[in-house]
Amino acid sequence: MIELSNVAFGYAEGPVINNLNLQLEKGSFTAITGGNGAGKTTMVKLISGLLKPTSGCVRLCGTDTRELKAKNRAKLCGFLFQNPDRQICKTSVYDEIGFSLSCIGIAGGEADKIIRETAEMLELDTKSEPFSLSKGERQKVALASVLAANPEILILDEPTTGLDYRECMRIMKIVADLNNSGTTVIMVSHDMEIVADFAKRVIVFEGGKIILDGDCRSVLTDERLRCISSVLPPQAAVLGQKLGGRFSGLFTTEEIISDCILQSQCRMHNA
Amino acid sequence: MKGLLEYCRGNSFLHSCNPLIKIAAAFIMCVGCFMCSSLIYVLCVIGITLIAGYSAGVGGKVLKIFTSLLKLGFILLLLQIFFISEGHVLISLPFGIRVTAEGLHFCVLLALRIAGATLPLALMLMVTKMSDISGALVKKLHVPYKYAFAITTALRFIPVFADEMNGIIEAQTARGVEFDTKNPIKKISLMLPLCVPLLVSSVKRIEDSSTSALLRGFSLRTYKSGVKTYPFHLRDAALLSVAAVTSACGLLIGILI
Ligand SMILES: Nc1ncnc2c1ncn2[C@@H]1O[C@H](COP(=O)(O)OP(=O)(O)O)[C@@H](O)[C@H]1O
Ligand SMILES: [Mg+2]
Repeated sequence: MIELSNVAFGYAEGPVINNLNLQLEKGSFTAITGGNGAGKTTMVKLISGLLKPTSGCVRLCGTDTRELKAKNRAKLCGFLFQNPDRQICKTSVYDEIGFSLSCIGIAGGEADKIIRETAEMLELDTKSEPFSLSKGERQKVALASVLAANPEILILDEPTTGLDYRECMRIMKIVADLNNSGTTVIMVSHDMEIVADFAKRVIVFEGGKIILDGDCRSVLTDERLRCISSVLPPQAAVLGQKLGGRFSGLFTTEEIISDCILQSQCRMHNA
Repeated sequence: MKGLLEYCRGNSFLHSCNPLIKIAAAFIMCVGCFMCSSLIYVLCVIGITLIAGYSAGVGGKVLKIFTSLLKLGFILLLLQIFFISEGHVLISLPFGIRVTAEGLHFCVLLALRIAGATLPLALMLMVTKMSDISGALVKKLHVPYKYAFAITTALRFIPVFADEMNGIIEAQTARGVEFDTKNPIKKISLMLPLCVPLLVSSVKRIEDSSTSALLRGFSLRTYKSGVKTYPFHLRDAALLSVAAVTSACGLLIGILI
């Protein structure tokens, strides 16, 4: 689905990513984490085709991103930016979502239908003015305008920073539902609790290189993760490792709690 | 043009001169360009500025600005050249359009003058911190801090806005807006909607910085505030004399010719 081979990229100030190889399957949910300035945003921009690699190549569904036109790329791959305000340029939610659709050539009655459906899915009022909404709401407006194009790949760059728990969960719930219905999701996030709850695969990025890569459980319970100063493993994973034994492979609070409940039920049963 | 006018760190002769003297010297050089209609003189001024640029380690950037100014000058030249029809005819085109020697001279001079008058100011901006310009204006010339701050902040925000604009363009490209169209009218119509997010973010940013300035006692400042002093040195006299002599030469040549 997504294939990076020998990708290198640098800004005018110097190289950021060297010789990166990566493959992501269709329908996967991948979280990318790492310190500030590690090159996460740069990497997802390379994947989306917004930046073109200086050497090597990035393929989306078999097409080199260098050959993709803006319109086709937008249909294939949606990108939610760290800062929603850069994306929002219309004075009503309706127009904002409509603008995305007009960019990819959908208009008229079909567009109207999609706009209403998307707004309903995200619980947005189509008449409200985006710039007067809260950060979380604006993030949702930006997400709505990305989702309206119904992309096969969805890239989220720190979608939950600056949101309160409820807004954060609302957005993640929508993303998880989309993933369940087949959308490939790539999410950059510092919030390891969110990563533990939603991601299937985790990639830890540092200095333009992949240091850890694997399924969520193996990465989050990896001893080496605790040595990376910029990443804080989820509390439950740390607790599991401290307790050791059968707990050492657990990484969410629910897992530890249900394990404890199961044990005490067994004990009661035996007694 | 992005980042070309930004301050470049260094400790060269030009960097260490007094900001006020640098402004004055740059202005004198600019005025010099308009004193005299000799092409060679204007070329000399540009040459001196380039040498000064290289001595301060920003020669490459000065040269870049020079070439982009020349491009602009060339467009002006094309516009003007056909409208001056007096004098010795060099080329005669159909429809009564003529290129004359006087016309050519006037247009080349105009193009070079624009470059010659802009370069010293650009160089001055590259080797002087904004805070030093406003500081010196307040300390030495007792310009009210409010005004000095407004001017330097406006200049300082140019690269910030340029960055913001790039980010916005990127975000809109991600949605499928095709910016790399060749048609300039189409391009402008694509850019217009982008002014909304830029405006919103600018207003927010300016509000934030004014609040933070007020919280830090902005209104209490007088010309005596501030740690830095801006004394004049011998090197300032040297810089000023170079500029003055150059302009004086220009004036002299202008009178003699
Ligand atoms: N537009 C840009 N121009 C120049 N350098 C940049 C730009 N964007 C990012 N960088 C640099 O690239 C490096 C990686 O940045 P980024 O990918 O944004 O990191 P992250 O998202 O992991 O925090 C940083 O050192 C940053 O300074
Ligand atoms: Mg980032």
